[in-house]
Amino acid sequence: MAYVATRGGERAIEQAERMYRAQTGRITPSRVKEIGAALPALVDRVMGEASLYAPDLAALALAQSGGDLYEALLLLRAWRTTQPRLQVAEPVAADEGFTHRRISAAFKDIPGGQILGPTLDYAHRLLATQVLEGEAYKPAAVTPAATPAPARHPSLAAWQVAQGLVEPPMADPVDRDAIPDLTREPLLFPAKRAHTLQSLARADTGGTLALGYSAMRGYGTAHPTVNELRLSEVEVRVRHPRGVTFSAGRVKTSQAEVVTTKGKDRLRLGFAATLGWNEVKVISAATLDLNSPGAPKNSPVNEEFFLYHTEPVESSGFCIHFKLPHYVTFQSSLDALRGAQAKKEAPTPAKTEETA
Amino acid sequence: MTLASLTRPWRAFSYGFLDASAKREMRRKMIKAVAVPGCQMPYASREVPIARGWGTGGLQVTLTLVNPKSVVKVIDQGADDSVNAASIRRFLTRVSGAGATNDTLAASLIQSRHRIPEEKLRADQILILQVPNPEPLRPVEPNMSAARQMHADADYGRLWLTLYEQIVRSGRVMQGASYPSMVNGRHVMSPSPIPRWDVPKLHMADHLTILSAGREKRIFAVPPHTRVEPLVFDDVPYRVEDHAGLTCARSGLTGYFMNEIPQDGGGSAHEVSDSELGVKAIRRAEGEDPEIGATWYVDGEMQR
Repeated sequence: MAYVATRGGERAIEQAERMYRAQTGRITPSRVKEIGAALPALVDRVMGEASLYAPDLAALALAQSGGDLYEALLLLRAWRTTQPRLQVAEPVAADEGFTHRRISAAFKDIPGGQILGPTLDYAHRLLATQVLEGEAYKPAAVTPAATPAPARHPSLAAWQVAQGLVEPPMADPVDRDAIPDLTREPLLFPAKRAHTLQSLARADTGGTLALGYSAMRGYGTAHPTVNELRLSEVEVRVRHPRGVTFSAGRVKTSQAEVVTTKGKDRLRLGFAATLGWNEVKVISAATLDLNSPGAPKNSPVNEEFFLYHTEPVESSGFCIHFKLPHYVTFQSSLDALRGAQAKKEAPTPAKTEETA
Repeated sequence: MTLASLTRPWRAFSYGFLDASAKREMRRKMIKAVAVPGCQMPYASREVPIARGWGTGGLQVTLTLVNPKSVVKVIDQGADDSVNAASIRRFLTRVSGAGATNDTLAASLIQSRHRIPEEKLRADQILILQVPNPEPLRPVEPNMSAARQMHADADYGRLWLTLYEQIVRSGRVMQGASYPSMVNGRHVMSPSPIPRWDVPKLHMADHLTILSAGREKRIFAVPPHTRVEPLVFDDVPYRVEDHAGLTCARSGLTGYFMNEIPQDGGGSAHEVSDSELGVKAIRRAEGEDPEIGATWYVDGEMQR
């Protein structure tokens, strides 16, 4: 009787929550601080999926959920949606950000140069087991380059447009303050371009990877080449009511541009960007974007298919909802099933008894 | 006069959790839904502090309608004390200061998952149904934009075909709960997933029913005194679950929708699915006099 007790539901859920929280114990400011400092990649991932750039809140959500990413995300999204939308910030162009890392797989070298920046790409993935034996792991210090890389880098696509290799991007006639906002209106199809990019920006990293990977393996038509992958910090520039534009701070962003040669006579680009540094997500999301024009309905690279199914709060919530009791609907189907069985066993029923 | 005297002190959350812009959108979409009965209206569907798929659509409607004078009843599978119903009720009262009740007659707002109470609802009550999948065409057309076009064209041929195929294959319509129903002669809706037993309760009812799917971001409504007709063939009548003759092992009630409880050693017992109706019957048997309202079904027969 614990599941649907006659009069015990309230107490049961309260105690069940306490049991979960007993595992993680007290949440202190120092724990939240430590999570933020020790797990920047995780904090970035959660901030991107929450579409809320707030490292402290993200660390708090991770502490509160005991590291359950979907729970942390829901905490942040449910908080975010109650906050007023004060302003639309100035648009940020690719070449304006303070670039930490920027690489292209399409050319050996590119205008502005290949900047490796912070990455584990070439690390040997060996567990530092000595830490468990009491010896701290101290990463070696970075030796600065003789000449520092420039902070700003031109966009490779701009070069390609100038060469006539890529269609120049279409001017978007939408006024800045009228940019459609996915968090304030439903996603409908065919989706507005802004909705598509916003939806990919807050998509589930794992879900985007699964569907993007299916496209990379051949369930899409276009094989991606990474035209440009960029990790930056960009200024959030907002307008003061007096008319002055000022920076409200910097946010980390990732953007990926993938390219295919399978165009009619030009290269085609796919694009994705998100808050925080999350390379797997933007590369797979850009691959989905690249493959979506003209994709067959109900294929993994169809826009409606991948945008609906990579929404992390919706997909994870629906998945866990199957734990809820479903005995009424089950009973209803059971009734139909037994009716069909009885029909099968009964000797040819009289015409008048024929009912559904 | 200071600036502080013109503003309210900062609070972490608005009254009823949702902020004013979210509530305004909900009100607009509810009015649209009432204006075009059974037609699915897309809405932004904000995140709320419970997981998607756990009644977030119903919750957004209730949070918008609730006020401190409201009395809310929350049920899941017919039971007030089901764990998720208890959780939603606790949240609603916590953020709104509204009263809570288990008694259908005392409630002004009833949020429900999968059931409509057995006692008749009145014109001053609103029923809010939580909806997992608002799209009756999903089994024949999973693509939402294509399904939307089919609704616009009233193109329901493939639904009829599905029902026909079930009769050919199994000798009867196999649709369990969520039986596709024509609303006001125009839009086919998927009624929450309430059992077939409950669908006739929506037809020409005195109360307003709002159906809301938070995850799928669609809201639709059955206004009072609106036709709700299950899709049936002329020669194959609609048939509710065969529960009319079952008796509740705990309350002795007969002629209502029942839960089947498998028993050790084979066989099944039954208990009435509308738990508060069962409680009232038991209290009566023990000599108390709780008010039991008129029920839609009497002796297992739907009353018209």
